[in-house]
Amino acid sequence: MPASSSTRVAFLAVQVVVVGAFAATWVTKAKALSREFRGLKQNGSEYTRLPVTRNEPLEISSLYNRPDLISDEELADVLRQIQPRFPVKEMKPNHVEHALRTWGVHATFRDPEVRSGAQLEKFLTDTASFLDSWGPSVSPLLQERSTGVTVRWGSEKGGSVHHDHWLTSLTEAGATLDTPVFGPARHSSTLGDVLHESLRDFRLDEKETEWTAMAFGMWLPPESHWIGSDGRRYSFDLLARRLMRGQKEIGVCSGTHRVFSLMVLIRLDDEFPAVLSDSVRDEAWTYLEQVRDAIVASQFEDGHWPSNWPDGADAVTNPVDDPLFKKVIATGHHLEWLSIAPKELHPPEEQIRKAFRWVIDTTKSQTQQEILDRYTFFSHVGAAAARWRGTHPAVFWKEWEEKHP
Amino acid sequence: MIAMTVEPETLPPENEAPEPPRKRGEADLSLLEDRAPDWSKVTRSTAGLAVCLSIVFALASFLPLWHTDVWGHLSYGRWIAQNGRLPETEPLLPLCEGVRFIDTVWLSQVAGYFIEKSLGVTALQFLFAASITFCAALLCITTSRRSGSNLAGAIAVGTFLYVDYQQLIIARPQLAGMVCFAVVFAILTSPRWRTWYWVAIPATFALWANLHGSFPIGLILLACFVVGRMFDLFRRTGSLRSWWSDATLRRLFLSLQISAAIVLLNPYGLQLYLETVRVSANPNLRDLVDWDPLTLRMSQGKAAAAALMALAVVFRFSPRRVTAAEALTLTVFGLGACFSSRIIVWWAPVVAYSIAMHGEAALRRWRQMDTRPAAARSGLSTVAMLGVMWIAFAYSPFGMRVIHGAPKTPEEATNRLLRSVSMQTPVAAVKYLNEHPPVGQCFNTYEWGDYLLWAGPKDAKWFVASHAHLVPREVWEDYLRISSLSRDWDSRLDRYGVNTIVLERYTSPDLVRGLKEKSDVWSLEYEDRTTSIFVRKKPV
Repeated sequence: MPASSSTRVAFLAVQVVVVGAFAATWVTKAKALSREFRGLKQNGSEYTRLPVTRNEPLEISSLYNRPDLISDEELADVLRQIQPRFPVKEMKPNHVEHALRTWGVHATFRDPEVRSGAQLEKFLTDTASFLDSWGPSVSPLLQERSTGVTVRWGSEKGGSVHHDHWLTSLTEAGATLDTPVFGPARHSSTLGDVLHESLRDFRLDEKETEWTAMAFGMWLPPESHWIGSDGRRYSFDLLARRLMRGQKEIGVCSGTHRVFSLMVLIRLDDEFPAVLSDSVRDEAWTYLEQVRDAIVASQFEDGHWPSNWPDGADAVTNPVDDPLFKKVIATGHHLEWLSIAPKELHPPEEQIRKAFRWVIDTTKSQTQQEILDRYTFFSHVGAAAARWRGTHPAVFWKEWEEKHP
Repeated sequence: MIAMTVEPETLPPENEAPEPPRKRGEADLSLLEDRAPDWSKVTRSTAGLAVCLSIVFALASFLPLWHTDVWGHLSYGRWIAQNGRLPETEPLLPLCEGVRFIDTVWLSQVAGYFIEKSLGVTALQFLFAASITFCAALLCITTSRRSGSNLAGAIAVGTFLYVDYQQLIIARPQLAGMVCFAVVFAILTSPRWRTWYWVAIPATFALWANLHGSFPIGLILLACFVVGRMFDLFRRTGSLRSWWSDATLRRLFLSLQISAAIVLLNPYGLQLYLETVRVSANPNLRDLVDWDPLTLRMSQGKAAAAALMALAVVFRFSPRRVTAAEALTLTVFGLGACFSSRIIVWWAPVVAYSIAMHGEAALRRWRQMDTRPAAARSGLSTVAMLGVMWIAFAYSPFGMRVIHGAPKTPEEATNRLLRSVSMQTPVAAVKYLNEHPPVGQCFNTYEWGDYLLWAGPKDAKWFVASHAHLVPREVWEDYLRISSLSRDWDSRLDRYGVNTIVLERYTSPDLVRGLKEKSDVWSLEYEDRTTSIFVRKKPV
């Protein structure tokens, strides 16, 4: 039987109501829906590009200038030891990253054998420069994806060893967000693109988050939340809790990087109070107090801290057979985070003095080759020493060279 | 052809034997008149079917509540009730903090929580049994009415329960979806469109969208009937114009549209649609047997294969025409089950209906029965039917509670709980954990996460629960690696700062062994028939 006119009207009315219902629900949840549709379209990635309002990274300044702990001459001796005298061939990205974070992108040296900050930066950000050093048989350090540029990391030859260490090192070195980054295809990308790629592929429960926390912390505030590609709502609270999770000695460099990153987040929260919630800040503070108590109890008579520093007094009564470099790691890294920590989190001053004595003497006693073999660990000693003098290694060294031609 | 009904013979046959002589004072039963109103009288076969369904109800109501996701749903229901809102991110597992949570079953969870809270766990068993029985009964009524034969109804119920029993033995909100599916299917297969269907279909979908995320299955079912009808019309008339002039097609199409729109009446709107796509694509689910493709190695795969063979046979001999909608529905849901065994739950009623309808028709042709005399209806059958139904209810755990009241003592409550839950439910272990609350992160057997969340210590930080799609991929992979004692399992436990491990002994024998071997780090604090609880000697 053919449809009557009233049937036609009813049919059309239903069409209008149905379309209207879908349109109304779209309007009310447009933001969330567009993100989800984008996720379905972009192979599941729901990452929403977060607006980063600054071109220069935030800086965590040193809180002290203590020539009584380390004199100009001692600082100069230490910095001389950790100058980046890397061979041209097969420069290790991990070494370059450590040198860059210590010396900064503007560092210059009179000695032509020493790599300048600009040279170090170029090695990390320009695939052509990397290939000059490593040749074509090694995979490039920078890798291009459809969504941006990422850094090859892991234990493979010529890779950055830790996740987001490349990004954090450049950030700590003062590179700007518009720093050009050239991948193998030479597309014009920037450090900002790498940051966004890092935000996109971040996972809270990946193996290491120490550097990710710092990099994000120095770029994102006052933003404290972001949506990852998995649709998860990440925050600095989550990152801080992740850093505090598990036994204290677990993590890179005997767990000391977790401590440094937590201290960085607390300092950022001082400047941008929304970075951490009050409860998480309290948790982080308590955690750092526990670290302080552990290093108060675990310092050896000669001033060094052992790799099992979280054991507290047990570390001294039942010492582990640490090789020298592990002692340097623990002592250098602890001195570094203490340089940005308020006094309430410090061990007694005498312990800091003893630690400096030991680590300075140890660093000075190393040959150039020994330093080069363990550059990453000794670079933290230099960074800690400069911070405790309230200066930057590059600034101090430039003045030192001018005064001592 | 549908069987014609005729009035039963009213005169006794002439050769009937004379009544035996009665003793003095004995009542003449033949004088008793069946005064039950006609509408209440049923046939013996109907009463028999009702008795069968009562048995199904009784058996289902004694099935223990499974130790898996039902408790997780109750936990979410409790959270929603206590907070007066829906969670935006996963609220119960610390390792899932920040993970977006579109709660597709919120209404089932809240209803389940309030029912459990006010009436106890036996009420959940009752709901579970009632849902299964309702689905079976509706399928039975639909098939019986359509075919005019209670035998068809019995075949439909039998096939449905046989194919679906593995999916049905676990109480979960999916059963609410199943009930909605049964309602929609019954309407779609009814021979005549009734005005109240215009309300019933959208109302069912509005409810379905809030009870369980399986509502797209209902829309697919409707779409199959729309497309099937279009195909049949085109085949019959050879013209596309028939689509517009066919009232049935118009009704089906409008029902589909209205249902698709009415689904938007949920707290998430259009996001609910996207969530169903996202959940089914979640990689964690690939690690779960529930979501594996259907294979012949599974018992439900064997049942499906048997049903498929039976279907082929009845199709071969049936005089009934196979409609395009029927073929399409069987194919779409059948293929769906090939991709994920959970889809079998929706295929089962469809295949049961087809087998019953065509089987009954084939049987009638074989027996050369064009018509069937109408069976006698009697009040006695009704009384017997109601009696059996009451007995089935009264002896069910919930019936006992209704009749005898709530447990009087804690011991009685515990005993009743133990009778109502599966043997693998870690009731005793949870009692121990409540007396010795764990500190810090805990690791647990996946299947127990829900019960631990529900009944365990309030602030305990459990590792995973059965909402696997909410667990971040990295955490899920670590869970699998630790459970299977793969490389670095112990350092992963360290990394998460796990202090307490609650394991089901029979599903995690390797990990139990590995932890016992690491006695310098882990101490076995509790062990019973099903559970091992390890505690780190030096807590993080």
